[in-house]
Amino acid sequence: MNAIKLGHLVALFRTLCATALFCATGVHAADVIKIGIPVGLSGANSVVAPSVVQSAELAVEEINAKGGILGKKVLLEVADDGSGAAGAQKAFDSLLFQKKVDVLITMETSAARNAGLPIVTRAKKPFIYTSFYEGRSCNKYLYVNAWVPDQQVAPVVDYFMKTYKSKTYFLIGSDYAYGRGMLGFTRKYAESKGGKILGEEYLPMDGADWTPIISKLKAANPDAVITSTAGGAPNVTLTKQLRAAGIKIPYGNLAVDEGTAKSMGADANGIYISGSYLTNIDTPANKTFMAAMQKKFGANLKTPNDLSVPQYEGVYAYKAAVEKAGSTGTDAVIKALAEVAVDGPRGKIQMNKQRHAPLTIYLGQVQADGNVKLLETFKDVDPGEQCPNLK
Amino acid sequence: MRPHSDGRWVLICVAAALLLIAIGPYLLSDFLVNNLIRGFLYAAVALTVDILWGYTGILTFGQSAFFGIGAYAAGLIFTHMGFSPSHAALALGAGLGVAVLVAMLVGWLSFYHGASPLYASVVSLALPIVVSQILYSGGAFTGSSSGLSGFESFDVSLQAWFWIAGLFLVAVTAGAWMFVRSDAGRVLVAIRENEARCEYLGINVSRIKILLLVVCAVIAAIAGYAFACVQMVVAPEYTGFVFGTELVIWVALGGRGTLIGPVIGTLLIDTSTAYLSGNLPYIWKLVIGLAFVLVIVALPRGIAPLVTAIIRRDKAGKTESGQTATLQAAIAEPLAGLASAGSSAIAIEQVRKNFGSLQVLEGIDFKARHGELLSLVGPNGAGKTTLMRCIGDGGERSGGKILINDHDIARRPPHECVAFGVGRKFQNANTFDALSVAESLRIARTRLEKPSLWSRAATLDLPEGVLKIMRATGLDQQVGVEVRHLSHGQKQALELAMVLALEPSVVLLDEPTAGLTKSERTLIGQILVELTSKDRLCILLVEHDLDFVREISSRVIVLHQGKIVLDGTVADVVESELVRTIYSGDGAHT
Amino acid sequence: MTAQFLDVITTAAILFAVSAGLLIIFGVMKIINFAHGGFLTIGGYSALLVTTLGLNPWWSIPFALVIGFFCGMIVERLVMRPLYSRPLDAILATWGLGIIIGQLITLVFGREVQFVKSPISGAVNFLGASYSHYRLLLVIASIALALALAAVLNGTRLGLQTRAVIMNENLARGLGINSGLVRFITFSLGAALASLAGALITPLTSVDPNLGVPWLVSAFMLVLVSGMSLASLAVACLVLGGAQVLVSSYGNPVLGGLTIVVLAALILRLRPQGFARD
Repeated sequence: MNAIKLGHLVALFRTLCATALFCATGVHAADVIKIGIPVGLSGANSVVAPSVVQSAELAVEEINAKGGILGKKVLLEVADDGSGAAGAQKAFDSLLFQKKVDVLITMETSAARNAGLPIVTRAKKPFIYTSFYEGRSCNKYLYVNAWVPDQQVAPVVDYFMKTYKSKTYFLIGSDYAYGRGMLGFTRKYAESKGGKILGEEYLPMDGADWTPIISKLKAANPDAVITSTAGGAPNVTLTKQLRAAGIKIPYGNLAVDEGTAKSMGADANGIYISGSYLTNIDTPANKTFMAAMQKKFGANLKTPNDLSVPQYEGVYAYKAAVEKAGSTGTDAVIKALAEVAVDGPRGKIQMNKQRHAPLTIYLGQVQADGNVKLLETFKDVDPGEQCPNLK
Repeated sequence: MRPHSDGRWVLICVAAALLLIAIGPYLLSDFLVNNLIRGFLYAAVALTVDILWGYTGILTFGQSAFFGIGAYAAGLIFTHMGFSPSHAALALGAGLGVAVLVAMLVGWLSFYHGASPLYASVVSLALPIVVSQILYSGGAFTGSSSGLSGFESFDVSLQAWFWIAGLFLVAVTAGAWMFVRSDAGRVLVAIRENEARCEYLGINVSRIKILLLVVCAVIAAIAGYAFACVQMVVAPEYTGFVFGTELVIWVALGGRGTLIGPVIGTLLIDTSTAYLSGNLPYIWKLVIGLAFVLVIVALPRGIAPLVTAIIRRDKAGKTESGQTATLQAAIAEPLAGLASAGSSAIAIEQVRKNFGSLQVLEGIDFKARHGELLSLVGPNGAGKTTLMRCIGDGGERSGGKILINDHDIARRPPHECVAFGVGRKFQNANTFDALSVAESLRIARTRLEKPSLWSRAATLDLPEGVLKIMRATGLDQQVGVEVRHLSHGQKQALELAMVLALEPSVVLLDEPTAGLTKSERTLIGQILVELTSKDRLCILLVEHDLDFVREISSRVIVLHQGKIVLDGTVADVVESELVRTIYSGDGAHT
Repeated sequence: MTAQFLDVITTAAILFAVSAGLLIIFGVMKIINFAHGGFLTIGGYSALLVTTLGLNPWWSIPFALVIGFFCGMIVERLVMRPLYSRPLDAILATWGLGIIIGQLITLVFGREVQFVKSPISGAVNFLGASYSHYRLLLVIASIALALALAAVLNGTRLGLQTRAVIMNENLARGLGINSGLVRFITFSLGAALASLAGALITPLTSVDPNLGVPWLVSAFMLVLVSGMSLASLAVACLVLGGAQVLVSSYGNPVLGGLTIVVLAALILRLRPQGFARD
């Protein structure tokens, strides 16, 4: 019995040494620049992850076709973060310490981002986060080129107040950091504009039955409803159940993307959405981008969206920063990232406001055919106070 | 087999493991070092699952909750109060304190006399769900779904963390190994094998389970605390039921009830997940799921024992037998540890029992003195076994009063009735299959001699009566044999020996000699008579063998349709016309 | 008030539909089928198939029943049979099965949220309040389900044998009842009912590989407090479902989500037989 236990340990040791050798083959080659993408290939983000990887692939292909960055070829390394903290730790460790990437550029869940940040700090590499999120994530190595509540909420509330003269609001969300962050800000913003919040209700992230909340909503009888749920299933169930309950007041959905809205069919009709990217933005940059994506991926194209386009621009932002800094040295790149601007599908974007970027926000409404009609454009909306303690 | 060689092997294994951990950071890549730090801490939690489930039979999905409690104690305090050595100590204290309280609450909910193991499992599943829900709704305070990140922690290199986590794992593993192989550890296996038997041996099973859960919760919380300190992040995921079930999967695949299997299972699966899941995320989970079901169905003891069996093939024939011990007579201290003899041994007043509308016992009324060997006879369905059950467990009867040695048993559970002096032998041989004869008897002595938490005693003190029974049935030659290998008759004798090893003053015997040979039966009969006459025990005997009853009883009670129809001497019964009618009416028994 | 009353009734109806299959299996086999969530999901995807094939949404009911029954048959043969004498292992095996079902569905259908056509939609006026049409329909569906199950259990030979096995399996076997067959049919039926429930709730929710998860623990708890009878399950759904609605309405929905779990655990601690009569 005991001899065998020792045998177990020996066996384990051999396996470990073998794996160690295996790791050592991932040597750092000086003539390439490696971009790491830890992303949710499985789990909650797996629906959107392929589109994110695609847009990064396009960016890298374009850059390499034009001679790379500082003459070096760019290489992508993708790792699955399982859309959660435990998976993210493995993915970040793997990318930073095993694949030895020069930079991380990705969209992730907040839990995954938070779990990865201490590892980024340890590895001392730049990290460009390309997902909209609840805001105020600050780290020496972190930049964000997507929106925060301060940027997204205002257009919806302003539009409701102006167009429908909505005074009273009811807020519904999933009980998680983003849901609470968004609705917390919405409450503050609406109240500052003279609006009144009649209720703010949350259901657990995996909750599927919104009935009691809908009953409360009906009893409160507000002028408008604004929701911010977890993406995917909760968003869909809430929308369906609101419609089934016969709710017809203006409905702003802070968590729905174009693709989901389209697949929801009639239930999505009339929903207001806002974001920094819509596929039909009428700019030359967006048209070129869409055409290039179409050409590269053809039938396999995952519709570009508000998460994949920032990813594309993030790669270009890194390129610009490295070129400005003249090297991939972390400190120099970190400094340069705030100083460079990228002219991409979403317009000209510079992450110069406390590691965040002023963004153009579009307000749209889902039509009966599932397409999103652009209602209004808000130029360069400021992200507000995000990381005042970071330089 | 021999305690001394065991100790030596533990030392050698520990030394080897420590050596590996010491040189690990120099040989392994940073990536693997980071992964193994987490793996070591997960493995420590997996060990607690193995102790609860593999050894004690408590299937738990909830250990992740305690891990999370430890982690969040650090995360919350470091985030909101800042990091300092005193805050670190405060966080550890708070984490362990909360873990202990929650474990006590969960233990109270899950473990009580008569609780189904299924219920305990579902409660253990609900625990992490409730804990993570609380964290989700904590808003900015708990960081909700995002968890907490970016807090400061001990300024220690990863290499040092590797050593700390490794040392912790080795310490927990070695400690657990000593514990499960100790006399106290055998009690856990006894509980897994046969919980009812343990309770009727006077062991407070619920209390042991709650204590065990508390200790396991503390270990998991320490692992969680260390995790938060080294990773500088906490997230609801680590308290959730998915992690809780992953732990069970690792333990199952590694080999439940082996300690080393779960540790290796955890390290290998967690590490290979880091390599493989990136390439094939869904397939990998599917493979794990398939392997898990396959192992549960076909290899319930996991992969480690399989590997052991293959390695051990060349040493065939040297199969390890169960634990043994030198038997010796206990110093005669009648009733030591049990209640002293009362004015009457058993007093039963107007006891009745019904199942729904069916009346099984009605108006049972009698007293029995010490020194009496009282036989209960009656046709099948007369209520004999039901009456025995009512005497051994205060929760059983529907009405009436029962006194044991002048103590009212009220609604007390079996282990408290044992404290009043009752020992009960069940109708069918009711033993611990996975334990050896010596271990079984030691379990029976748990009440009288507190078992050691880390070692095994070389000798086993047993009352003279027990030794006689063992000699009469040849059990004394088989103390090292696992009970599952005994014949039915020997199991019967062993159970009787276990009951008598309790040193009870009132003994309830339900067909103690079924399956024994004629000569063994005669010997047992003589011993029983001697116990009543010499040691002044009160024995209540249910027997179908009326010849046996006639030979040894000092008094007979005849039950029929739940009522006492006759209470007298053997002669009274033999001469009774009524008894003859009852038996001929219901089919005679020999 | 009316709305709240309707919320309680419809919530109880949904819970009943979701738990019935679990109860049947628990009654006969004394095990909790942790793959229940997986079978709910299978039902959801059965409904999705019906939508994809362009059939009338009502077809999803027979579809879900047949597919669920079929899956149940396979699982009983391959996985459950060797585990009859090991109830805790049966829990684990069904748990693993749940993982396998989830991954297979993900591999075949993808992880994205998908949509099923609802047989009816919108709100109707009922007792003076406008209320979701489909939820009201679910009440009728659950009552029909309960009556059908009661009829099968009380009015057929198989039902009689099943009840005999529930009461005392050894005795039933002694009387010549093929308890293996009863278990086989019961498990398949339980799976079919779970699948049916999955199809029934899809118009309220979306279809995704985790469709069954949110219902799982509540269903476990309801079944544990109900013991073995459909009537006590109905009572448990009304009482605990009602408590959930009230806590959600007057307290908050997050607490509401925990109501069933916490209340059921306490009830079982204080009264181990739960809502069963004895």
